[in-house]
Amino acid sequence: MTSVADRTNEELVSAIAVDRDRTAFAALFRQYGPKIESYALRNGAGRAAAEELVQDVMLTVWLRADSFNPALASVGTWIFTIARNRRIDRIRKETRPEIDPNDPALLPVADLPPDRVLELSEDRRILSVAMNSLSPEQSEVLRLSYFEGKTQTEIAEERNIPLGTVKTRMRLALGHLKRTLQPRMV
Amino acid sequence: MVAVLPNQHPEEERLLAYATGSLGEVKSLLVATHLALCPLCRASVEAYEAECGGWFDGLGGGAEDDRWSAMLAACDARLDTAVLPPPAPRSTLPMTGPLVPEPLRGRLGRPLFDFGWNEIAPAVWLSDWTVKDAQTTGCLLRMGPGAPVPPHHHSANEMLLVLTGAFHDEYGHYRVGDVADIPADTDHYAVAEHGGDCVCLFLLDGEIRFL
Repeated sequence: MTSVADRTNEELVSAIAVDRDRTAFAALFRQYGPKIESYALRNGAGRAAAEELVQDVMLTVWLRADSFNPALASVGTWIFTIARNRRIDRIRKETRPEIDPNDPALLPVADLPPDRVLELSEDRRILSVAMNSLSPEQSEVLRLSYFEGKTQTEIAEERNIPLGTVKTRMRLALGHLKRTLQPRMV
Repeated sequence: MVAVLPNQHPEEERLLAYATGSLGEVKSLLVATHLALCPLCRASVEAYEAECGGWFDGLGGGAEDDRWSAMLAACDARLDTAVLPPPAPRSTLPMTGPLVPEPLRGRLGRPLFDFGWNEIAPAVWLSDWTVKDAQTTGCLLRMGPGAPVPPHHHSANEMLLVLTGAFHDEYGHYRVGDVADIPADTDHYAVAEHGGDCVCLFLLDGEIRFL
C-alpha cells in the first residue's frame, strides 16, 4: 500500500468510504482541521465553538465519505460545503434550506433539451473566468464580505482602508460579475 | 415533455451569498426553492461553491502541534459511535393542487391554498403563514386573476417567487419558478395574469408603504 503522504485527497476520502481507513482520516484531519477552524474564527466564532465545528465537520466527513463525488467537486469544495452547512445549522438551530435531489417537484438536468445542458457547463466556465478576472482587491472584498461574513465597516478597519473604498470595490466586483454573466440568462 | 426553465432569476449576489452561506435564512428558503426549478442557477451556485473551495483551501496552517494531536485523538475516539444529524424535515403530506418544491413544501406543511388569508386589497391576500429571521419577513401573496396589487413604495428589498399562476409588473412577466428581485427605494405595482390565482412566496426586508 502506498503511504498516506503519497495519496491524493480524493484517494484519502475514497479509503475512508471503502476501507474505513483511520490513517487516511487522520491525514485529512491534519490537513483540513486548521482550515475549518480558521473558517469558523473568521466568521466570528469563539475558539471553543471553532474547535467544536472541527469535530462536527470531520465526523461528518467520516460518516458521509461515500457521498463524495470527485466528478462534482474537489475535496476542498466538498468539505467547505459541509463546514458551511454545519456552521449555519449550529447557529440557527435549524437545517439550512436546500433542495432535495429526490423531490418529484425538482426540475432535473435530464429534462433539459441537450443544447441547454451544454449551456450549463459553459455557464460554469464563464462564471469561473469572471471570478478569476476580478482585480485582487475586488476579489478580496468579495471573499471577506461573503465568505468570511464581515461587514463593510469591519473590512475597512481590518484592511485600514476608507469605507468608501470598500464600497467602491464591492460595487465594481458585483457589477463585473453581473455584466459578465447577464447574457447567459436570456 | 420538454421542461420550461425559469426566465427571471435572483440577482447574482444572492446566488453568491447562498453559496458562501452568508444569505439569511428566509432569503435562502426562497433561493433554494427557485434552485429546485432552475438547473441554470444550480450550476451557478455549484460554480460559486468551487470558488469558496479555493478560498477554503487557502486557509489554515500546520496541525502538527500537541493541540491538534489531542483534537485528532478526541475525534478518532468518536468515530465508531458517531451518527449523522437528522435530515431536514420533508413534507410527507399528499400534495393537492400546485406542487410546491422543497425546501418550501416542508416549511409550509400543507397544500398551497389551505391557509388563512387576509385581504389587503380587492382580490389580493396575504397568508397567515409567515416566516421570519433577523432581517427578512416572508409570507404567501395571493392575487386573483387580473387583480392588481396597489402601487407601493419599498424602503427595502422585496423578493417574489412564483409558485402558481403568473403576474407582470413594470419590469416583466413572471411565471412559475421566476423570481422578482426588486431593489430598495422603488415604487412598484404587480398584476396577476388572467386564468387563475397567482400565489408567490413574498419576502420583505422592511416596511412597505402603499401609495
